[in-house]
Formats: sequence, structure tokens, C-alpha cells
Amino acid sequence: MTVGAPASRPRVELAAVRALAPPLLAVLLAFAVTGVLIVAAGKNPVLAYWSLAHGAFGSWDRIAVGLNRATPYALTGVGIALCFRARVINIGGEGQLALGGLAATWVALHMVPAPRPVATLFALGGGVLAGAAWAGLAAGIRLKRGVHEVLATLLLNFVGLLIVSEALQGDLGEPGAGFPQSPLLPNASWLGRLVAGTDLHVGVLIALAAVAVAHVALWRTPFGFRLRILGASAPAAAYAGISPARALVSVMLLSGGLAGLAGAIEVLGVHYRLIDGFAHGFGFNAVAIALLGGLNPLAVLPAGLFFGFLETGAVAMQRAVGVPTPLVAVIQGLTMVFVLSAMGLTAGRRRV
Amino acid sequence: MLRMLGITKSYGAVRANRGIDLVVPPRTILGLLGENGSGKTTLMNVLFGLVSPDAGTIVFNDHPLAGHTPREALAAGIGMIHQHFMLVPAMTVTENVMLGWDAAGRWLRPAAVAERIRAASHTYGLDLEPDARVGALPLGGQQRVEIVKAILRGAELLILDEPTSSLSPPEVSGLLHVLRRLRDEGRSVIFISHKLGEVLDVCDEVVVLRDGAVAGRTRASDTDRAKLARMMVDRDVSAPVAREGGAAGAERLVVADLAANDATGVERLGGVSFSVRSGEVLAVAGVDGNGQAELVDVIAGLRRPTRGHVFVDGADVTGRGVTGRRQAGLAHVPADRHTTGLVADMTVTENLAFRDCDGPPFRRGPWLDFGAMRAAASERIARFAIRVGGPDVPARTLSGGNQQKLVLARELTRHPRVLVAAQPTRGLDPGATRFVIDEVLALRASGGAVLYVSTELEEALIVADRIAVMYRGRFAGVVRRDAVDITRLGLMMSGALTESPDAAALYGRKAP
Ligand SMILES: Nc1ncnc2c1ncn2[C@@H]1O[C@H](COP(=O)(O)OP(=O)(O)OP(=O)(O)O)[C@@H](O)[C@H]1O
Ligand SMILES: [Mg+2]
Repeated sequence: MTVGAPASRPRVELAAVRALAPPLLAVLLAFAVTGVLIVAAGKNPVLAYWSLAHGAFGSWDRIAVGLNRATPYALTGVGIALCFRARVINIGGEGQLALGGLAATWVALHMVPAPRPVATLFALGGGVLAGAAWAGLAAGIRLKRGVHEVLATLLLNFVGLLIVSEALQGDLGEPGAGFPQSPLLPNASWLGRLVAGTDLHVGVLIALAAVAVAHVALWRTPFGFRLRILGASAPAAAYAGISPARALVSVMLLSGGLAGLAGAIEVLGVHYRLIDGFAHGFGFNAVAIALLGGLNPLAVLPAGLFFGFLETGAVAMQRAVGVPTPLVAVIQGLTMVFVLSAMGLTAGRRRV
Repeated sequence: MLRMLGITKSYGAVRANRGIDLVVPPRTILGLLGENGSGKTTLMNVLFGLVSPDAGTIVFNDHPLAGHTPREALAAGIGMIHQHFMLVPAMTVTENVMLGWDAAGRWLRPAAVAERIRAASHTYGLDLEPDARVGALPLGGQQRVEIVKAILRGAELLILDEPTSSLSPPEVSGLLHVLRRLRDEGRSVIFISHKLGEVLDVCDEVVVLRDGAVAGRTRASDTDRAKLARMMVDRDVSAPVAREGGAAGAERLVVADLAANDATGVERLGGVSFSVRSGEVLAVAGVDGNGQAELVDVIAGLRRPTRGHVFVDGADVTGRGVTGRRQAGLAHVPADRHTTGLVADMTVTENLAFRDCDGPPFRRGPWLDFGAMRAAASERIARFAIRVGGPDVPARTLSGGNQQKLVLARELTRHPRVLVAAQPTRGLDPGATRFVIDEVLALRASGGAVLYVSTELEEALIVADRIAVMYRGRFAGVVRRDAVDITRLGLMMSGALTESPDAAALYGRKAP
């Protein structure tokens, strides 16, 4: 029985290929089926996809926009992946993200003037705390009142979005803007640019770091080990002395914090102000991304990039070919259906 | 009736079946024996169509079977009863039998099916009531539901993979009786068991596997335990167990008036008090389901008692969780290895560490030390002779007995002060059983206290210094090793005799 790393390496690579194949195939299939729909709509699918690709990757600017777009997806998706690993079904990403943006805005507008990195860090920290608190509230409702976290997080989404609207109608709104949005945030709180001359902000690096940390936490620490045991077998977790309540609270706080961070980054790096509805769609897409990534933090990254670039390319596709943007939602939806089917087929072979 | 020729199946580097020939004549009970991991379950999975072989042919009743599914195997007349019953507890016997049964017709006819169950139950002595709720039946009864399901679906050959490992002795003799009736009615049975006594008792022929190949076949009447054991393993496992007399020391595990309810609020444990001393083994015997599981769970911290206390080395651990108790020196081998003792989808390495990842050596600072985990795993695999491709394969791929060894390896190598073991030798072959008994006795000799729950009286008599018999959640009696009387123990198990034991029997050497 040799345990040497060299002997086991080829097998590991094979396993990686096997894990990658289903999502890639699913994506290809989704594009193929959507291509048929485009033909049915009387448009040229090759042209449509070319303009989609061009819109996504056609220039440094476009790539920057796609990366920016993928950032909140990866952040929120990675937190949700950790939750799902422990069988904690957190679908409250949207509300947590929205409140993160709200808190970051509030901090940026109300804190004493400070130089750039300090002001930005405080605003980001506010976002993290607000997101974590919102998720923690759902965890508390679950533990104290026995309301399942699916319901608690879902309902808190609505409440969270309404709180943001309410704040923009009131104190936080920009007077006379005609649209529910906050005033422009002070320049010192903005996220720095990563590449001068493009929109690319340093949030991308934060997302990369978060993904790496989540990966290490899941596979290399006792905390992640406990989450995985809990997700694999509740009786075994009890036997291992793992407290499901403590695990629920910690993983919810973590993923809420990540979603809140994503919201703060959207506000501080993209819009520079809080806009009503800015969080729309992020929460549920993040669930899809977590699943597309097979609940593996590292794989959530490409999944997030896929969704980000798909959406930025879609705008160009619509302009060039007249294919309606909702077709992109069709691609996303079909990818999910195919990926979940593939996961069903390979169920039991996935590493927990 | 059945001919399997040259069956070969490999899992990666593991050659589970290597050219096995198996012939089952009509009207025969064939015993399939072999050490843990010798390929018995794999061979039966091939026969039933759950696993496709790399090579080999199967002919059943003159029809070739190749690339078949379990459904086709059933249609051909082969029935398999898995160790984990595939029954819906909330449904009645009749409903369970009708479930997924094509021949039951498009319309459900419960009355007609119930009638057939009654008839089969009468013919084969199954003693089943068609309207009984399956969840309320004892394990032996649920097993008979599986048997009647297979019979009514037309199984002429019945495969039973370790059917007796979780049955109590009276249930076992009931099952063996049913098997004989099945044979007398013209069916054949393949019976897998590690208990040589049962095999010799019920089987007509015996086939022994070793390392995935046939090591021998014989008529049951031409052989005996020693010969079979030699066929299974090369080494001799019949040497008498070495038991040092060592005097028992201080009380390590003390249980005071412990009571507990089950999930529905029914009292299952009705106030039990005893102690186990350092250097002592207290065996808990009795028919399964008399509160042993609850007793073990409450001591281990998996279930809250309704009253009473548990002390480990003088410290009251009643209020502590599983981790606190483990840190106090308590090890626990749970009765259910599949979902509690193991995480089937995790690797052997992870399974050998998952109860100890909160401190050194497996945790270093904020990190899990996979190097240390893997080293420990390799060492335990070697010491416990766990048959496995390596420390990184999922526990799911191990044979049943080897999964049990995994649990034991984790709990025993921690050098616990107190070991609470529920059916620790379930599913183990005679050699491995012997190994576990030796390990338990070694723990005893080094000053550990062991609570050993077993439905096997024979085994309890080998390991125990005192034997307690549980009946309906209470101790029907506690007997010291030197005063054991089998008849009395039997009466206690059936509830016909209750003795209030003296303090010396309850608390070891002297009254506290
Ligand atoms: N799905 C699988 N993947 C990899 N290896 C497997 C798989 N199933 C069985 N094996 C290996 O094949 C060998 C034979 O296993 P099998 O379950 O047939 O043994 P067994 O005779 O039933 O043992 P036991 O008495 O312990 O139940 C073992 O070494 C086991 O690890
Ligand atoms: Mg087996």
C-alpha cells in the first residue's frame, strides 16, 4: 500500500477532468439549445454568439466590465456553496447583498472624512457586518422559532429589499433625483481601480482572495471538515460532537458577510452610489453559480465568471442582432437544468 | 439451478472476484463463507445484476444472464435480501409487498395480496400479519417481510447477505427454520454468514472464498468448525483467549439511575445503575431492542437522559456533550456504522480522524494536518488489517466487515479510559472477531473499563468479568463471571426471571 504522492497524481488529474466534464458539457448543450431558439426567432445564431463573445471579450473595457460583474457572483456564490456543503439552504443572498450595499453607503456618507483606504475599508466593513447580521437573523429565527432557513432567508430577502427602498425614499435618498438613489458617495470611499483607464476595480482581487480562503477553510481546517461531515451525515456529525446550531450560525454569518461584502463592492466600485434594485437577481444567480461550481469554492470562480461575461455580452448581442437579452436567462436556466441533471447522474461519486 | 463460471471483477487494483465458479443445485441451502473483503457481497451483486462483472458467465435455470438488471434478475427468479431492508416503515406489510410490484396488476387489490401473504406466511412459517405496520415489527419481522416480498415475486433462488448479524438468537433460529421450509418447498438459498455454527446448522453445502477465489467447497455434513476456519484463513484462530486475572481497580464508569425515552416519548431505559471498574469488562446481553441502544447512546452523549447521571473517572459528565465526554476518556463504538460510525462518502483517512480533529495531532493551529492524518491512517490500516486500496479511497468502497474495523480502529487506538461498544463484532469474520476480543482484553489489561453490548452470549462469556442482562429497559440481573449459569441467563433474557443483584455484582468488587 504505497501512499506516495507521485503514484496518486494521475488519478487525481483524471478525477479533476471527470469533475469538469459535466458542467462544460452542460454549458455547451445550453448554448446549442438556445441556438435553436435563436434560429426559431429568425436570427442568425452564429452572428448572435459572435457578438455575444465580442461584447464580453471584445476589448479591455469589456473584459473589465465582465470581471466586475463576476465579482459579486463569486463572492456570494462561494458563501452559498459553504452553506450548501453543510446542508444549510441559504437562499437569502439577495437581501444580504442589498443590506451590505446599504450599510456601505450609510458608512460612506456619514463617517468623518478620512483618507481613501481607510474610508473604503470602513465602508466595506459596514457591508460585511450588515450582510452577516441579516443572515444571522435568519439563523436566529431558525434556531429560536424553528422556521426552516429556506423560508427565513427567502422572506428576509423581501424585507431587506424594502428596507433599501425605504432608506432611499427617506434620509439616504438624493433630493430631487427623481429616482430612488443616494447621492454620489465621497470620492475617498470609492474602491480603487486595478487597471488605470478601465473600470476594473480591486474588488476582483478581494473576490479572488475570498475564494482562496473559502477553499482552504473548507478542505484544510477543522471548521470546513465539520461542515462537510454535517452535510454528509447528520448522525455522524452528532457522533463527532459537532453542534449543528453552532455550525448553522457560523456558516450563515460567513456567507452573509460575503454577500454583504459583494453588495458593498457593487456600491463602492461600480455605481459609487446606492441605487434601488441594484441587488436584483444577484442572490438567486449566486445559488445557481454555487451549484454550477459543484459547491467547490475554486470551481465557483469560473462559474461566476461565466455568468458575469454572459450577461455583459448579452447587451452587445441584443444591440447587434436584436436577440432579446432574456435569451441569456434562458442560457443560464438551461445550463442549470443540464448541470443538475448531470450531477444527479453522477450522484454518490462526488467528494464530500 | 444456478451456474456461475469464471466470475471476475476488479475495482481498480483490488481484485474482488478472481474467476469464481459457483454452482447451486435445486433444493439446496448453500453457505457462502469467507473473510471480510473476500468477495462474497461482490459475487452476489454480480448475480443480482447490481454490478457488472469483467468476465464470466451466469446460467440460471438454463437461461443465460448477462448484462442484466436487478429487475430482470427478479423476473428470472432470483431474489436478494439486502442487509439494509428496503421497506417503508409507515406502511403495512401488504402495502410494502405491493410496492413496485408489476405483477400486482394495474389496479391495487390489497385484499387479494393480503390473502397471498397469509398463505405464504402459513406455508413457510413466517408468522406475518398482513395489516401490521412494518415500522412496528422487530428486525426479524421486517426481514420476513423482505422474504415474503421475494417469494411472492417468484424468487426460486434467494440470496441472503449476512441476514443474521443483527438478529437476536431466537430470531436467528426462527430464520433458519424459515430457510429450511423454503428448501423443502423446492427453492434454493444462498446464505452468507460469518457464524460457522449457523452455517453448519442450516446449510447443505458450503463454499469458502479467500482473496476473491474459491478456497474450497464441501458438504456441510463432511466438515466441522475447525476445518471451515482453516479453509477461510491460513492462520489458526482457535487458540484459547488469553485472559489475565488482573484484579479490578477503581470505578471508571459509573451510571446512576439512568433513564431515557425514545423519540415518541416512550420510556426505553427505566433507571439503570451500575459501575465498571478499571481493568474490567461488563457485558450487557439481552435480546436486541430492550434498551441497550438507548443505554449506549445516553452514556455516549448522543441522547439526553430523562433522569440519572453518568460519571467517568469520578467526574459527572451528564451535562457534557460528545466532545467533552471523549476528552474525559470515553470511546464509543456505535451500533449503526453506516450512518453514524462512518461517513461513507469520505475517505478512509478522514473517517479515521473525524472524531479527533479538534486537537493534536490532527489539528495544528488553525489547520488540519493531513500528513499526520494519513500517517495515522496507514498505521491503523496495517494494525487492524483493514483490507482497502489505500487511505484515500472512500469508506463506501470497503466491505462491510472492513468498515466495522475502521470504526474500531479509530476508537481503540485512542487508548480510551472507558470504552462503550455496541455490537463491536457485528459483521466481522472469525479472525477479526478474535482480533477485536484480544484488543478489548488488552485495553482491560492496561486498566481500561469496557461496557460491551452484545447479543451473542458466547462472545459475552469470553470477554466479560460480569454479565448484565437487559430486559425491557432494566437489568434483569447481573451475574459474575465465576457464577454464570446459562439457563439462568436465558430465563432473564426472556423476562421469565428477574433477580435483584447484590451490590458486589452491580458495582464490581465492593459496594461504593
Ligand atoms: N465499489 C467498490 N469500489 C472499490 N472497491 C470495492 C467496491 N466494492 C467492493 N470493493 C472491494 O472488493 C473487495 C471485496 O468486497 P466484498 O464486499 O465483496 O467483501 P465481502 O466478502 O462481502 O466482505 P464482508 O464479509 O466484510 O462483507 C473488498 O476489498 C472491497 O474493498
Ligand atoms: Mg459483504
